[in-house]
Amino acid sequence: MSRAAHPHAMQPHRPGSTRTAPPQMPPQFPSQGRYLSYSLFGATGILYLMAGFVALRAVRALGEGPEAWAALQAQFAHPLYVAFHALSLLAVLFVGVRFFRLFPKAQPAKIGPAKPPPRPVIHAMLYVVWIAVSGGLALVLAGGIF
Amino acid sequence: MTETKKFVVTRFDPDEDETPRQQSYEVPVQPDWKVLDGLNYIKDEIDGTLSHRWSCRMAVCGSCGMMVNGKPTLTCKDRLSNYGDTLEVAPLSNFPVVRDLVIEMDGFMEKFQSVKPWIITAKEKAVEEGTNRQSPEELEHFKQFSMCINCMLCYSACPVVGNEPEFIGPAAIALGHRYNMDSRDEGARERNEVFRGEGTVFSCSYANECSEVCPKNVDPAAAVNQAKINAVLDWATSFVVPRQGQGGK
Repeated sequence: MSRAAHPHAMQPHRPGSTRTAPPQMPPQFPSQGRYLSYSLFGATGILYLMAGFVALRAVRALGEGPEAWAALQAQFAHPLYVAFHALSLLAVLFVGVRFFRLFPKAQPAKIGPAKPPPRPVIHAMLYVVWIAVSGGLALVLAGGIF
Repeated sequence: MTETKKFVVTRFDPDEDETPRQQSYEVPVQPDWKVLDGLNYIKDEIDGTLSHRWSCRMAVCGSCGMMVNGKPTLTCKDRLSNYGDTLEVAPLSNFPVVRDLVIEMDGFMEKFQSVKPWIITAKEKAVEEGTNRQSPEELEHFKQFSMCINCMLCYSACPVVGNEPEFIGPAAIALGHRYNMDSRDEGARERNEVFRGEGTVFSCSYANECSEVCPKNVDPAAAVNQAKINAVLDWATSFVVPRQGQGGK
């Protein structure tokens, strides 16, 4: 024969809400497994901040005249500046490739009656535009146009 | 042939423990067992004080999500043969722990309700008018996002949820987006207002971890980022297209 249900069986030992252990971040965050890519993506923001200061410095040098600009150009030849710009380029490439990899599936299923093309087509279009814009900018910087 | 595996299980008794601790169990496992089978063996045969949630055992109810070797996993779907001699089982990350492997779900449920996950219509249809019809093409727009079983693995994997507890999270946004894409629904305007608020779609920085761990291949990251674009388009068109009625698709 079963016993009668205890009327207080489901009550917590203490009044009020149950004490809980605090939430924990995933054990692999931020530097292991797939989280590493995400953390590196966030860390590139530091490089962009520094690149922003460098750009402001360049604008200021331009305003101060040809001598200041030439001096800044000479400073840019320093190995530290070269390393910084190389790292910035890598960061931009990393963010660009990551963005392009994730971009196609973020497209709306449809806008009005129009549906987006298949994902491989979007991928191809993104890389074509990227290469074309990069080529155009390279031409401008090399003095080929303008 | 019976093999033995060592389960290192996180335990927490709110009446006894200040912080969670680990306890090891040697479990004789069968070749076809899932992780959940091992936990049920511990509960039934070794230590009846172990607490964990489970129900359907067929990857439908979404109750048995836990961290297995640091990865959010639906334990009724994950084979023990995927692991070596030792596996660590812990409660889902990013959630308060009620006891052992049982997490606190209240915050999750509140986030779910915030996106109004039901069909909203400007005028309720009378029964005599018949059913709301939907073509297979219309269903295809949101079907993937309706496969969510609320297992919360995506919340456990998302670094934004861990860093910004107010973020309403991948599953809730995917569910809201699912209704926004439903041809029978007229509540997109209301949900897009929610999505444009604090701690919603624009808090997502596209780590994509939610989609990596989803046991039903829902792809919540796609939903969140599609919802971003739709929320912006809705805001932009609101200046040129007059809105009428309660809904406004």
